[in-house]
Amino acid sequence: MAQTTTADQSATPAKNVWLPIVAGWLIPGAGHFLLKKTGRGALIFASVVLMFLFGLFMRGIMFTPEKGPDYLTSLINYGGSVCNLAAGALYIVTVMFGYSQPDMAGAVHDYGTKFLVTAGLLNILAMVDAWEIATGKKE
Amino acid sequence: MPKLNLSHFEAALLFSLFSSVVMGITSKKTNREQLNYGAYCFGCFVVALFGIGWVMKLGHG
Repeated sequence: MAQTTTADQSATPAKNVWLPIVAGWLIPGAGHFLLKKTGRGALIFASVVLMFLFGLFMRGIMFTPEKGPDYLTSLINYGGSVCNLAAGALYIVTVMFGYSQPDMAGAVHDYGTKFLVTAGLLNILAMVDAWEIATGKKE
Repeated sequence: MPKLNLSHFEAALLFSLFSSVVMGITSKKTNREQLNYGAYCFGCFVVALFGIGWVMKLGHG
């Protein structure tokens, strides 16, 4: 009974639920920091940033939203670019500095591309988690 | 910018580690559950890594 009361009090919805989501998109883990979940925020920041940096160092490609010769290629291009964009400031800064990698054959490049895409996907998971905490659905 | 040349195993292990951390944090509520689920995900990744690796090796003859 006492535990339920404590959990209910700690799961109070935040005043502005969009701020942690936007902050979390721009800087991975920032939404959790704003919601006073510093440990989780630090782990998310480290995981997403390291994954993105490993992807860059492995010379992964950034997808561009363009039509391909077939439906599947278009889907991969658009989906990949959305996932890249989900990495927030990491993606924006990388593009601003002119990172452009041609699509080359090789396992390391391929892993790099997957790392860059997955960093964005993990950041989406973190944003959803921040939203659940901000709305009081999760502690 | 330095270029990393990781092996398949090293890259897959790093991928598993980072993914498991975020999946553990975002999927469960308490710290203990998050730690357990993160470790479980990492274990599943590694088992799948070795399992699929052996299947591919045996499949290629």
